[in-house]
Amino acid sequence: MKKTCYLLIAIAVAVMVFASSASVLAASSLVVAQDTPPRMMNPHGDDSDAGLQYMANFFDGLLQRKGPDGTLAPALAERWERLDQLSWKFYLRKGVKFHNGNPFTAADVKFSFERLSNPDVSEFINTGKSITGVETLDDFTVVIKTKEPIPWFANNMHQVFIMDKESTESRDSGEVMVKPIGTGAYKLVEWVKGSYVRMEANADYWEGAPPLKTVEIRPVTESSTRFAALVSGQVDIVTGVPVELFDKIVKNPKLDVVSRPARRSIFLALNNKPGSPTADIRVRKAMYMAINEDEIIAKVMRGHAAPAAQIPDPPTIGYNGNIQRLKYDPAEAKKLLKEAGYEKGFEITLSGPNDRYVQDAQIAEAVAKYLAKVGIKTTLDVKPKSVFFPEVTGGKLDFYLIGWFDGTFDMGRTYFKLAHTRDDETGHGFFNGANFSDPDIDKLLKSTADIVNPQERGKVLQQLNKMAMVDKIAWIPLHYQEDLYAIQKGKGIKFQPRPDRWMVYKEISK
Amino acid sequence: MATYIARRLIQGIVVLLVASLLCFIVFRFMGDPVITLAGRYATAHEVEEVRRSLGLDKPMHVQYVRFLANAARGNFGISYVTRVPALGLILERFPATFELASTAVILSFIVGVALGVLVALKPYAMRNRLIMAGSLGGISIPTFLMGILLIMVFAVYLGILPPFGRGETTQVGFWRTGFLNLNGISHLILPALTLAMYQLAVLLRLTRAGMREVLTEEYIKTAWAKGLSPRKVIFKHALRNALIPVITITGLQFGELIAFSIITETIFQWPGMGNLLLTSIRENDQPVIVTYIMLAAVVIITMNIIVDILYAVINPKIRYA
Repeated sequence: MKKTCYLLIAIAVAVMVFASSASVLAASSLVVAQDTPPRMMNPHGDDSDAGLQYMANFFDGLLQRKGPDGTLAPALAERWERLDQLSWKFYLRKGVKFHNGNPFTAADVKFSFERLSNPDVSEFINTGKSITGVETLDDFTVVIKTKEPIPWFANNMHQVFIMDKESTESRDSGEVMVKPIGTGAYKLVEWVKGSYVRMEANADYWEGAPPLKTVEIRPVTESSTRFAALVSGQVDIVTGVPVELFDKIVKNPKLDVVSRPARRSIFLALNNKPGSPTADIRVRKAMYMAINEDEIIAKVMRGHAAPAAQIPDPPTIGYNGNIQRLKYDPAEAKKLLKEAGYEKGFEITLSGPNDRYVQDAQIAEAVAKYLAKVGIKTTLDVKPKSVFFPEVTGGKLDFYLIGWFDGTFDMGRTYFKLAHTRDDETGHGFFNGANFSDPDIDKLLKSTADIVNPQERGKVLQQLNKMAMVDKIAWIPLHYQEDLYAIQKGKGIKFQPRPDRWMVYKEISK
Repeated sequence: MATYIARRLIQGIVVLLVASLLCFIVFRFMGDPVITLAGRYATAHEVEEVRRSLGLDKPMHVQYVRFLANAARGNFGISYVTRVPALGLILERFPATFELASTAVILSFIVGVALGVLVALKPYAMRNRLIMAGSLGGISIPTFLMGILLIMVFAVYLGILPPFGRGETTQVGFWRTGFLNLNGISHLILPALTLAMYQLAVLLRLTRAGMREVLTEEYIKTAWAKGLSPRKVIFKHALRNALIPVITITGLQFGELIAFSIITETIFQWPGMGNLLLTSIRENDQPVIVTYIMLAAVVIITMNIIVDILYAVINPKIRYA
């Protein structure tokens, strides 16, 4: 009896020593509670930013985006140039090794780009199909040819990660989905689904070993639990702080809040079918002016948003600082409606998701109330994103709330998806769910397709942006969201959030 | 007995068929999973290609028949979201859910029955009245509130127990367990308590009612009169007879806890099957949802059969024809 008792005590002591040594190690390690768990460890299988941000730690693209501004910088390619309208040449970095020791060469680039068009393993089918071929001139030079001119092609190269050809082909396809082998700053130690992702620094990283030795990411989807994890000191950083918990965190002396304007803007899309009330520019203006955006920001977003006058955010090519929001003026809105012959208003249905953006359903509700005040009877139709988005891509809506930002930092691709007349052949207007169509916008947009020089593109896209927002009121812009993070104070964590919301751990130190 | 079990199994298969058919009908209203799978910038053509590669271009009845044929061979399809087999994805989460549910059931059974007996012996003592009042709270406070309250008190204010997750776990063969170290056990306490609370209250009240009834029976009086020790009278003669409904409920609840501890798992971010189900519903990961429902039905049917067999063991008077 005594013996077992001693044994138990010995085990308990051992466990405690082990536990305390784990906390000593914590000096160069970081624990993060993320709002979204990773779906898989296949870098091409999830094109959402929530998924790509995990991959950005294990893999590198040809290029990368550097925080905190999102500047395009070399990664696996040291430099690049556009040879002609359709060809892009990348000069690859020499001496880079994958986590398994394999050297990185042009063959891996070719393999990775060809993998993009396989629907079984890729969500980048559009990127994959836009390429006619990858030529490897030698082991460290590749030329990628596209089917049509894609001016923003290089701008997107931070999202396409390069895999190791040899180990991806030789390993079982199921293992490729869960065990990443890349060139990235971190190697995966263990991924227990639903519990944690553990990674350790890649000492041989081509940019030099990252400052944090180990990182543990715990996906906590429930926002109140994420809050509890932070307050109880279980994690160092929390992403996706809900606006309703913001005040509590600010008041807590142990915590710091880090916020930055998000890239995503929230806006309303309208149809302009001939004969419908919203085809009249005066009605569009009236609806714009009837919405009190400042109040939405103050009350619904609790101050955590910035008013938007256009879809792209300031760092995007095509952002036009001269565009102003129309003033909130319900009296003027009523006057415009009267002029347009809708003195008694009309009926319209406002659709939107209720599980996609910050306070999305509440924003829609507020919009409906403002419109009702000027006589427009608005029926609300909010639903889960899995039901809502197919309706958008199917072009089945008249009036809806949606959010957008473009990972390429170039407005061109966004405008082709959102504003161009729907065309199933080319895929233009795929997210133009209200069938908005304007020949002037289409024409100007088409003319930008072969301009590559960022300055020239900027000029034309700004002009296009102004046309859409001021002359045509293609959409009613609402606001830019704000990204909120909370960190433990006094642990010396140096963290600057990125515009794309990715958590790239080589940029964080402690 | 054998014919009885065979009959139950056939019933079970019918239930599985109906459950899976219902799933397929509901899926039609859950939206189109293909849009997200093709990527944000896919064209309509590319979306159609992905639809074909997943076999979702076929009419619903064809999809259903193909699902049944594959399921009969143990292949429940590939998860849309993670692109690995759905069944494996769920079974990977089973140990977490099983450990949580079994801890909760054992806890509630032991404490519930013990308190139930205690209360039945002296129903009007002040302490026992307090216990009964407390059990009302256990029944009426919803799980999510109980979970959040426990987190607030023990994790946020007192800071003595971790608020979420499973903590350190150890891989033993195919089974990943949290029982083998203190960290894992400390993570188990709050969610297990949350899950056990309702159960415990129900079992307590059930035991008390049963015991009070049995204690008035003639044969108990005889036992006392014979001068048997109180322990023998209470536990051997009385409790054994009062326990039959208690075991039924425990067994049924155990099956349900394994299959549907969704709320508790979500609040505590417990990496179990319920948590996975909720994520899958949000992501519209249909193969995982239908596999889960089928698996849940299997668990509940199995628990039912086990309970029926246990009846016969506890009370030899019960016979199945």
